Amino acid sequence: MKLYIKNYSSYRSDLEDIDIKQVLKQKYKLDTRRQDDFIHLALYGAQLLKEKTVIHADDELYVTSAYGDVDVVQRTNTYVNKEKQPVKLFDFINLLGNTTSYYVARSLNISGKNIFQISDNFTYINSLISLYASIKNSQKDAILCAIDLVSTPDEVSKRVLGVKEDIEIVSGVNYQKFSLDAKDAIAEVEFDIKTYSLDEVNTMLKKENRTVLSSIRCMKLQCSKESKFFETLASYALNSAMKKNEDMIYIDCFEEKYKILKLKSLK
Amino acid sequence: MAKVNILNYEIHCAQGDVQHTLKAIKNDQIVKSFKSVQSLQEDVEIPYYLFKEEIKQDQESIYKAMRDLLLKIIPTIDESKRDSTALIIGTSLVDWHVVDAINASVYENEKKPYSSKKQSIDSYAKALSREFGLNDFTMTINTACTSSANALLEASNMISIGLFEYAIVIGVEIFSPIMSSGFYAMDLIAESVAKPFDLERDGLVLGEAIAGIVLGKEDTLWRLEGGFSNCNSHTITAVSQSGDECVEVMQKALQNSGVKAEEITALKAHATGSYSNDLAELNAISKVFSSSLTFTALKPYIGHTIGASGVLEIALFMAAVDDGFIPKTYFCDNPILPEYRPISEHKKCKEGIFMCNYFGFGGNNISLIMKKEIV
Repeated sequence: MKLYIKNYSSYRSDLEDIDIKQVLKQKYKLDTRRQDDFIHLALYGAQLLKEKTVIHADDELYVTSAYGDVDVVQRTNTYVNKEKQPVKLFDFINLLGNTTSYYVARSLNISGKNIFQISDNFTYINSLISLYASIKNSQKDAILCAIDLVSTPDEVSKRVLGVKEDIEIVSGVNYQKFSLDAKDAIAEVEFDIKTYSLDEVNTMLKKENRTVLSSIRCMKLQCSKESKFFETLASYALNSAMKKNEDMIYIDCFEEKYKILKLKSLK
Repeated sequence: MAKVNILNYEIHCAQGDVQHTLKAIKNDQIVKSFKSVQSLQEDVEIPYYLFKEEIKQDQESIYKAMRDLLLKIIPTIDESKRDSTALIIGTSLVDWHVVDAINASVYENEKKPYSSKKQSIDSYAKALSREFGLNDFTMTINTACTSSANALLEASNMISIGLFEYAIVIGVEIFSPIMSSGFYAMDLIAESVAKPFDLERDGLVLGEAIAGIVLGKEDTLWRLEGGFSNCNSHTITAVSQSGDECVEVMQKALQNSGVKAEEITALKAHATGSYSNDLAELNAISKVFSSSLTFTALKPYIGHTIGASGVLEIALFMAAVDDGFIPKTYFCDNPILPEYRPISEHKKCKEGIFMCNYFGFGGNNISLIMKKEIV
């Protein structure tokens, strides 16, 4: 499968420390009331994308995440399950995954298909696969938002991610706008549904001269790894390579099975 | 969209499995219960379509219930083909993996060791996939009331372009104090019964369900012709009363499926029984279809099962047609639009082209078109 990337936006909490809610209010004049930090983070990435590319009303929108909005689950769990209080109205609304994608769609003025989805393994790549299948049928463009927000305490996120206590996890939101059409594309990305064994990946990498990055989940693979982690790091890695006009291979791993993203810069 | 066939289906809801539910519908023996939920003043009893045997809100119980359902439909897929089968779940369940991590981090004095396993709402799908030897591709969609309807459309997209030979789509919703309390706080719960499209309607009645559909390319009587899904609502909780957003979804679903409005044999409405959504949907139906349209609502039999409703209601609708009828709509004595009245008696029907609507929270709306052709 091959998709063309028309543009992208990227934000990581460890690289840039900003008050996102204030930026949304002051710079982008967005109504931020009744929304969680998770929604604000998604909106911020959307606004960065909007500044860089043309967005059409019928563009499809996919939002994916490792575990969604933990803060709202934590609050509702406290109210309802621990304190036996009723859920607060806007917590209830924010609890639904598609609330985030609704606000993103509204901020981008799009009214096309809108899906909030989570894949336990290969979170980002599986979303790319469903996005690809959708636009192959609809022949439209699609935007993919990959978002992870670290909760407080970060122990909750680490437990859900299944990473060790000493791993530093960060928040990030990364968008790409995808198309089946190569016109004006800045990069192309290739992927497939197949998973590979470690031996197959190593054989493949022997012939590879592109930059190779992998998730920290690829513990047995000898190649560069980000020391800090978030589940949708694959999306950041693509954006980072596009920023440098580089070709790149990104490898993710779950339970000894590997999936590969191949990015080719078209600039 | 290339056509994808519906190979098998099964449900588990307040009335039991598909056969028990059909029997309950035909004999007017619908079972409904009550459940206590928290409100600001005191706990209140709300009507609820509950499973006969409680499924507890914990990871193990939810997994077992989904596994039991899957066991009934998976024999459709030959074991040699299971590695080309995707599993997609549609639900708005609160993620108990996250809740358990919160409890372990915040509330428990004695710290449990960290697990090295990634967990999320999709962990049920991942574990089922592993147990039944399915493809590694799993996904869990949460778009509120449209979750499993969207899951069906996503699955059919992947089959139609040849990524997978089969897909299993499961819709699941189990009683949750958080979700129930939220619906109650929004003043959306009916006093006693849901009265879809009735002037006296006063809200919805929630329900529990697990339902599954197997999609593939093998020839069968039922086919998913296509559909259309978008997010274009007036507010985050409702479409506009004119129903114009629903009109767009229904018209594009027809267009994508190559079907004309007058070719629709019957329509299964979303019809929650809530004031604004029923008004919007009926206004939309009146703009797309003539008043001779046969349409019905299934929620008075099974409740509004939120994320599960997509798969549950399509499966139940197909089962009824396979049994030779379209179920009547309960409790609509004085329709909002007198000339657009849902059927008040079961109607004989063995085949045709059908539209199934889902118009939900968070602005997500979807219409699916199915066809049953008896050769």
